[in-house]
Parts: sequence; structure tokens; C-alpha cells
Amino acid sequence: MRRSASLRSRRMKLPPYPMIELDPAAPLDLHRATVLPEWIDWNGHMNVGYYVVAFDKATDTLCQQFGCGWEYTRDKIGMTFVLEAHVTYDREVKEGDPLRITTQILDHDAKRLHYIHCMYHATEGYLAATNELMLMNIDYETRRAAPWPDWAMARIEQMAAAHKALPVPPQAGRLIGIKRKK
Amino acid sequence: MLASLPYELPELVTTAPLDTHRSTVLKEWVDWNGHMNVAFYVTAFDQASGAFMRNIGLGRRYVDGKLGMTFVLETHVTYDRELREGAPLRFTTQLVARDAKRVHLYHEMFHADQGYLAATNEVIVMNIDYATRRSAPYPKPVQERLDILWPLHAALPKPAKVGRVMGLGKK
Repeated sequence: MRRSASLRSRRMKLPPYPMIELDPAAPLDLHRATVLPEWIDWNGHMNVGYYVVAFDKATDTLCQQFGCGWEYTRDKIGMTFVLEAHVTYDREVKEGDPLRITTQILDHDAKRLHYIHCMYHATEGYLAATNELMLMNIDYETRRAAPWPDWAMARIEQMAAAHKALPVPPQAGRLIGIKRKK
Repeated sequence: MLASLPYELPELVTTAPLDTHRSTVLKEWVDWNGHMNVAFYVTAFDQASGAFMRNIGLGRRYVDGKLGMTFVLETHVTYDRELREGAPLRFTTQLVARDAKRVHLYHEMFHADQGYLAATNEVIVMNIDYATRRSAPYPKPVQERLDILWPLHAALPKPAKVGRVMGLGKK
């Protein structure tokens, strides 16, 4: 059944709020954060769940690039839901550590976006973690999967084209398991 | 390898999969979409990993006694259905693989009343020596418990969601 024509987002050529200027950098290298005291667990380092909190905020930064950030939900147009996530925890980070998160688009279709974030210690430079994600566009009213709005699709295509030339990080497409040494 | 642990281990639960962990979606786990945020699924699953670890003798006393810690190396989550604030959660945990230092666990999260599958999580957890903060073989009593559990979990069917690789799977 074709119902997309009735969706509010499909009737809009542009969002009812200003879009930020598209950042042409590949990968996207905008998101910065600091490890908060409440992100620390009894092992004295950032807890596994809060790596994902930090990564999810980097997803907000990504979605703002194509006009599907906070305003998209505030104005009851749509939402973005994560379908699947894979995290590699590569090195510990401690309270107060500055973080830099880069984002690379790997693939996309009419409703979904597949991408990977890399989290670095911002001053020491080491890779702390990666997060591969599958994101789905959701219509606000039906709360079901829906095609990206035109304005978002145009920008996703622009970003995907720029990111296509990048090497795919080795952490993308990983199969989880205990690798036995031969 | 530690030959013993200086505390009494809890009675071993041998049910496979382990089906003891329960939880509730907290208010602070809910995001602007009005459902449990992706990150807090990982937090909730981490607590289910904690229940598995306690069962093999690696609870809070293992860390407080400065003996060792358990670090997650990698995690894979499928988000199958939304959960709202206050939803009661039930977790099952299957031991998928293990070696001298690591376990590969597979959790399923269900809405405890409505019964639907809300999410799955595969996780690799490494044993860490407290002093060196590096990987180390499990203490002997823990290995013994894993030896008891392993055949019981290995006899379970392999869950369909184990070993997923992410992709758009274009037709």
C-alpha cells in the first residue's frame, strides 16, 4: 500500500526551520564531548552504556546536517530510530577526557542510513571506540518507517558521495566472536 | 591465574539460558522520542551481563577486593521493538562461546508482561587483572563454573540473531 503521499514530511519541500550549512568534510569531523563524572562506573572508566550515549549525540550532530535533528521531532514531522548497533571498545577513557567523534556514511537507501562513528581521545589522539549503526527514518504520525524527506535525501546523497572515496574502517561489518589463535 | 577467591560464591544457577535478571525502564532512560534510548538498552544489557558474571563468581566483591574486573570488548545490539517508561523487562542469557579469558554472551530482552522481544545483545567480555589492568585467565573457581555451564548452554539451539553483520541487504 502506498501511503507515503499522505505523510506530512513528503508534502514538504523544505523543513519549517532553518537548515545549517552542509559541512563538506569527509568524514564529518564536528562532534566534540567530554567524559562526564556520571558516565564513570566502578571500574574507574567510562561505562559501556555511556559510550553509546556519547555516540548517540554524535548521531544528532549527523542528523542536523540533513535537517533531521531535534527540530524534526519537535515539529512533529518525523523521528530517527536505530535498528542495529555494533560497538568496539578499543581503549579506556576516564572522567574529564576530551572526545572527538568522526562520522562516515557507508550506505543508504530510501529510508535507512548505515554509518560508522569513530571516537578518539581529542588531545592524545588514540582511538577509544567505534560505533556502526543502522538508522531508520520514522514518520511522526504513523510511528512507522517512511522515506527520507526530499531535503534530507538530497543532503544524504551529497554526503554519501563525498564519503564514498574514504577507506572503509576495519571495524565496519564486523562479525562478533571469540577469535581463536591458530 | 588465581587459584581461589576470598569470598563465598553464590549458589550456581544452572538453568540454560539463564533467566534470572529483571529490570524496569527508568524515567531517565527515555529520550525525546518518548521511548527507551538506544544507549540505555546497552546499560540494561550490561546489568544482565552483571547477573551472568555474579553467577560465575565475578560480582562486585571481585572488583572491591581488587582481584579483577570484567571489560566489554565488543557489543552488537538489535533494536526490535520500542519500550516506554516503566515497562518491566525480563532477560535471558545464553553462553555462546568461551575461552580461558573471555565469554561470548547472547542476551534477549523481553517486555516482561506482554512477552514481546524488545532487543537482543551479543557481547564479548574479557577478564582483567586488577593490578596490571590487562587481560588474564579466569580464576580457577570461575573456570570450574564455566566448565559446568558450558555443556548445558552448548546444547541450546543457536539463536537466529547470533553472528549478524550489519548491512542494508538490498534486494
